[in-house]
Amino acid sequence: MAKILVIADIKEGVLKGSTAELLSKAKTLSAQTAVVAIGSNVESLVADLAAAGSDTQYIADDKSLELFSAGPYAACVVAAAQQFEADMIWFGFSEAGKAVAPRVAAQLNAACATEIIDVTLEGEKIQVVRPAIAGKVIQRIQVNTQTLVAVVRAGAFAANPGITGTQNMVKLSIPAPDLKAVIKQILSDASGEIDLADADIVVSVGRGARDQAGIDLVRELARDLSAGFGSSRAMVDGGFMAHNKQVGQTGKIVAPTLYMAMGISGAIQHLAGMTGSKTILAVNKDPEAPIFNVADYGIVGDLFEVIPILRQEIKKIRG
Amino acid sequence: MKILTTVKRVVDVELNIHIENGAIVEDGLQYVINAWDENGVEAAVQLKEKNGAQTTLVSIGGQDNTDMIRKCYAMGMEDAILIDDPALVSADAFAFARILQTVYEKGDYDLVITGKQAQDTDSGQTGIILAEYLQLPCVSNVISIEVMDEAHIRVSRLGDSGTEIVEITLPAVVTVSDSINEPRLPAMRGIMMAKKKKIQTLDLAALGTSAEAVGGAAPKSEIVEFMKSKTRKAGQKFEGDAAQITAQVVELLANEAKVF
Repeated sequence: MAKILVIADIKEGVLKGSTAELLSKAKTLSAQTAVVAIGSNVESLVADLAAAGSDTQYIADDKSLELFSAGPYAACVVAAAQQFEADMIWFGFSEAGKAVAPRVAAQLNAACATEIIDVTLEGEKIQVVRPAIAGKVIQRIQVNTQTLVAVVRAGAFAANPGITGTQNMVKLSIPAPDLKAVIKQILSDASGEIDLADADIVVSVGRGARDQAGIDLVRELARDLSAGFGSSRAMVDGGFMAHNKQVGQTGKIVAPTLYMAMGISGAIQHLAGMTGSKTILAVNKDPEAPIFNVADYGIVGDLFEVIPILRQEIKKIRG
Repeated sequence: MKILTTVKRVVDVELNIHIENGAIVEDGLQYVINAWDENGVEAAVQLKEKNGAQTTLVSIGGQDNTDMIRKCYAMGMEDAILIDDPALVSADAFAFARILQTVYEKGDYDLVITGKQAQDTDSGQTGIILAEYLQLPCVSNVISIEVMDEAHIRVSRLGDSGTEIVEITLPAVVTVSDSINEPRLPAMRGIMMAKKKKIQTLDLAALGTSAEAVGGAAPKSEIVEFMKSKTRKAGQKFEGDAAQITAQVVELLANEAKVF
């Protein structure tokens, strides 16, 4: 039986959905599961971590771990992996995960795969599947080492609420802080808006919105739908939208039920971030915009004209 | 300050990719400089211009990498090392990191700058593994670099909760996001000068190592098959009176797509 260690994704004291998703997949592979939670006040999440599907909870709880720091976080994961004798170590999609996974792999002399969308186990042979070349191709990768460290793409696995685990907490020793890379400040981009990763509907704004007035108009649409509010790279680079709003190859990868691309042309790097969406609606003035090649429904028009009508029609239907 | 920048030659993602028998069809592929490494080169050149840093680039590949290296020279990089060895055909990120480690240890560098990921693999591992091998601090996804003094830099990084301001003690490795800068277009003068510059080319033996030593012969993982991604098909596109077509689309979203 394989042993899979999942790194808990905790944001502002809340256990994020990816943890249960990864643990469900692990149990579906008939693996023994454990979770490692790193941060401050994370011990209080042990019951949630067990409910999410882990049978052992490795806890590294200390004020010094409150802010992300790659070195100490990697040390905690390595410690848990060694104690658990993990065959696979899975991170949910996050900047922290991407920064730590390769370190853990290097320290454990394990293989490393990022952005994976599937894992198979045939006896001891591990294979993973992942997109490459801006999502144009899929690679099937054979792992030649005993251990694999992976970062799982957002939404790749589904959580099964029927799968749970048992409480069995193990405390990890707290590593020394990294004195050579010290976080001095975090400029929070918490806008009080819905996290793109969790949103069922995402409305994104692109260059077609032109300026702040356009952004505000698209934001109103997002608010009507209680949707996540995202952006193409153009509007982030233009300073109109925060970096954490960028949907794309190097931004957020989203796969909501409905994705509305407002004034977005559809560059490959953007498409890589949203073509997993169930339904795509695009509004763009240019009938030749590449976004229309992937949209289920396309409206050729000026978003300044279309959005007020859209909001009205949606209100009629939703009440 | 001495900077080592890594540059990778990658498949141009803008073009169509064809798969046959589980492999990518080479015919028709074009190669370009990895966009994120281009940001790294620009970052290094800006540090040269602002802070007098010395800049060296390293690339692993073959003679095909020459054009790309000359472009980096034209942008302002001062020296280039090309590691060219046929044994590296199946090298993985770990092997590349070992090679870069060997190059780093032959010089006297204070800062290694790599792009945060390669646009063909989207892996994002090599720079971080290199830092681990070198036992150096590493900050990834960096959007600005500022020199504090000879031994410290201040960077901002796109983290999960916002922009993190991190102070780093050198030597260190940073991986850069495309949001860090807009790579310059080389001027004609730079392009002409680049044609005459030497590129130091070394194989693994000349570097003082071997394929076995870097793990190049035994990759930790390997691609066994390529498949085409499921492409989305274009759906229905509506042109005409805005009020009419918008109402039509909302009705379809509700009754056909069932999202409302």
